[in-house]
Amino acid sequence: MVKFKIILNILGKLLVGESFFLFLSLIVSLIYGESDSLAFLKAGLITLVVGSLSYLTSKGVKKDLGKREGYIIVSLVWVVFSIFGCLPYLFSGAISNVTNAFFETMSGFTTTGSSILNNIEELPHGILFWRSLTQWMGGMGIIVMFLAILPTLGIGGRELFVAEVPGPAPDKLTPRIKETARNLWGLYMLFTLIQTILLFAGGMTFFDAINHSLTTMATGGYSTKQASVGFFTSPYLQYVIIFFMFVAGTNFTLSYAVITGKATKIFKDEEFRFYTIVVLLFSLLIAVGLFAAGNISGEQAFRDSLFTVVSIITTTGYATADYLLWTPFLGMLIFVLFFVGGSAGSTGGGVKVVRILLLFKNSFYELKRLVHPNAVIPIRYNKHVVDQKTVTNILAFFVFYVIIFMISSILMSLWTPDIYSAFSAVATTLGNIGPGFGEVGPMENFYKLPDLAKWFLAFLMMLGRLELFTVLVLFSPSFWRH
Amino acid sequence: MLNWKFVFYVMSIIMVVESFFLMISSAVAFFYGDGDFYTFVQSASISLIIGTITYFSTYQCKKDIGKREAFIIVSFVWVIFSIFGAMPFLLGGYVDGFTNAFFETISGFTTTGASVISNIEALPHGILFWRSLTHLLGGMGILVLTIAILPIFGFGGMAMFNAEAAGITPEKLHPRIKETAQRLWGLYMLLIALETIFLALGGMGIFDAICHSFGTLASGGFSTQNESIVNYSPYIQYVLIVFMFLAGTNFTLHYFAIKGNVKKIVQNQEFKVYIALILFVTSVITVTLVYLDHGSFEKSFRDALFQVTSVITSTGFVSADYTLWHPYLLFLIFGLMFTGACVGSTSGGVKILRHLLLFKNSLLEFKRLIHPSAVLPVRYNNDMVGQDIISKILAFVILYFMVFFIGCFAMTLVGLDFISALGAVATTMGGIGPGLGTVGPMNNFAQVPDAGKWILSFLMLLGRLELFTFLIIFVPSFWKNQ
Repeated sequence: MVKFKIILNILGKLLVGESFFLFLSLIVSLIYGESDSLAFLKAGLITLVVGSLSYLTSKGVKKDLGKREGYIIVSLVWVVFSIFGCLPYLFSGAISNVTNAFFETMSGFTTTGSSILNNIEELPHGILFWRSLTQWMGGMGIIVMFLAILPTLGIGGRELFVAEVPGPAPDKLTPRIKETARNLWGLYMLFTLIQTILLFAGGMTFFDAINHSLTTMATGGYSTKQASVGFFTSPYLQYVIIFFMFVAGTNFTLSYAVITGKATKIFKDEEFRFYTIVVLLFSLLIAVGLFAAGNISGEQAFRDSLFTVVSIITTTGYATADYLLWTPFLGMLIFVLFFVGGSAGSTGGGVKVVRILLLFKNSFYELKRLVHPNAVIPIRYNKHVVDQKTVTNILAFFVFYVIIFMISSILMSLWTPDIYSAFSAVATTLGNIGPGFGEVGPMENFYKLPDLAKWFLAFLMMLGRLELFTVLVLFSPSFWRH
Repeated sequence: MLNWKFVFYVMSIIMVVESFFLMISSAVAFFYGDGDFYTFVQSASISLIIGTITYFSTYQCKKDIGKREAFIIVSFVWVIFSIFGAMPFLLGGYVDGFTNAFFETISGFTTTGASVISNIEALPHGILFWRSLTHLLGGMGILVLTIAILPIFGFGGMAMFNAEAAGITPEKLHPRIKETAQRLWGLYMLLIALETIFLALGGMGIFDAICHSFGTLASGGFSTQNESIVNYSPYIQYVLIVFMFLAGTNFTLHYFAIKGNVKKIVQNQEFKVYIALILFVTSVITVTLVYLDHGSFEKSFRDALFQVTSVITSTGFVSADYTLWHPYLLFLIFGLMFTGACVGSTSGGVKILRHLLLFKNSLLEFKRLIHPSAVLPVRYNNDMVGQDIISKILAFVILYFMVFFIGCFAMTLVGLDFISALGAVATTMGGIGPGLGTVGPMNNFAQVPDAGKWILSFLMLLGRLELFTFLIIFVPSFWKNQ
């Protein structure tokens, strides 16, 4: 029997945590003396009360968390957080439609960054801060979940993120969840702080600097400007953001290694090398293409290209250039990046670089095996042999990703005016990127879609964020049997 | 060292055989007196002379064939056949230039059915006959290859399962290649004869009936009409549907049907999924056409069933312009281009068995998440499928997508728009014929730039040979001595 009491207990505690961040936004709104303060007070109190009640009514429950409870909690957290996270928008009238509010909030927590807002700059500061905060919280949650919590629960896929990284695997990071979480959060906050300072030094207002840092490190992509980062034409600012997006898309255990003085580990990591090569290769190709198309300087072509490539591959989703105006070939390059994703153990979404890398390796190894069918040719990653089970898991993941993508795109095309918008909306939400193509391109938003489409996309955001299986397993009959 | 002499020896025989078929076409040309008789005599002579010269230079070679010679021969056969088969088109001036002639011919031999000819009905009878004959030969070739030859090397669709599985193995058909090939020819010819009779009974002229039958059983799609099957009567369309369906069925099942072994057919999972898929997608499209596009029920059903069967079996006959349908249906059709029909048939694409096994494996991944130490194998037709086979299938699918993406890049680079590029690559890799956009069902490939035609020709070959059979040539260890 599933122990619902312990689920209630943990969710209660987490909700109290959420209320803390709501009160933080309240403070911001009070600082600016705007109209949304009451909304935050109400939202914060409701969340605090509900959270406390849940926790108190389930007190004294045995603290043993089984696998099933683990999976349920992981999925429920996103839904519950999004429900309570809507409240500020609804109470303040910033977003009056429930569908839109939920979409915007889920897009926040899943660090997707797709928005239904077409009047961002008119919103009160508290609301904008809360919006960015939802992404920051989401990023934090995902790191801890994948690097600390799920492995301890023995939930599948951990080998990828943990065992293959030389040196500071969470096991070696520290033996306990709490300490591991604290170290990662510390790193996360440190980066956020440094980026804020650097952006502020570059001429951004402090408010804009902190908001963008919150959403960069989360690889979320929410901006305080309607035109996204394209509003800030200063090359320095764009390069700073490029750097931090790249860092946010790197495995946090590797960043930890660099900070603690073991810099060489990062250069030996196969995933990091592949990630870097892909970024450089794509950026170069696109830069050449943009420059050849004429009308812009070499530096601008390089910067637009690098920014867009890093933004999409890390699944951040900021926009500086409108890639819809590029040639079909360049547009296609960008579209391919939608399916790569960030590194494992980063805040990035998508398929993840390490999976793509292993998929390639497997295909080449299969070609080799054709020539020598009886030889045992194992796949190696970071000098370790990869277990066949892991390979199968990755391949199954990819198959599912494609199936879900195709079926969702077909469904989506019922709701969107054209095919580009349909499949790009699906690709961008599944991969937690943000902007798409067609009607949901980088200079547009998701406002015009029918409500049903928004709910569906919100579900896809969650599905993609939790890497498919974690959510889909709840629909499998054998999960509920014993 | 590779036995090149033997390779050329086989090629010489191929050329002589081809000259024989060219002479048959010259007889048809003579019979109709359209003016292409001499073109065929010339083409047959070229093939015969060069073939004979090559034969006499190489017949004193060692007649032992290893794996390497076999694979090289398989790839070469298609290329050689296409080069010499292009002569009638080129010499008679029925197409402009060698690129177009080669494209049309390889499209014939790979049973794709994509055409560069705008006015098909203006072509002389000999040329039309040769065009359809290339389909017949290509279809026959692929049947013999995949059912009789490749499984011996442990290759391709039919080799995907253990000898005892499904009871459908070359061994059970007949232990020797020659006998198996003879039976396949017999079945193939029988079906062609039957279809010709049924079509003729429906009012189609004998010549057109023969040509369309050649095209149907090969899952090719070349028609003698400019508008493909659009203007034919419902009866004729239904006959074609039936025979397209049969051409997409595993030919060993046909063999069992004739022998009265119905049990084998009824138990075949792939066959059942094939039927279910066709019925399901047809229903969806029919309903949509009736309600959204306000068509009559019978026509909507017929259009849906025809297009679905045609695309799944990669035949490529067209009875309705699906680009005029609701975008979401267009997306469905595009998705079907990646399905393919049954293994051991003349159809191209990924093949249903692969999709089925992958899907089963992915479902099992859920169970494996919950019970990581349990051994949960994939089952097909009551037998266990080894993980190594699953791995091969997954590698195939990954490779298919890689080739697809690279192909799309290449096509956008030569100037096709995004949608047309996607459609062109999908349709040539899958051996279907009609695509999307500017290479849609009511257009043709004439306006594609030459470079694009070469890329697509290459993709047709890759797809027909199921990737590995061709790509193995590029694996370094293939060339090293054992």
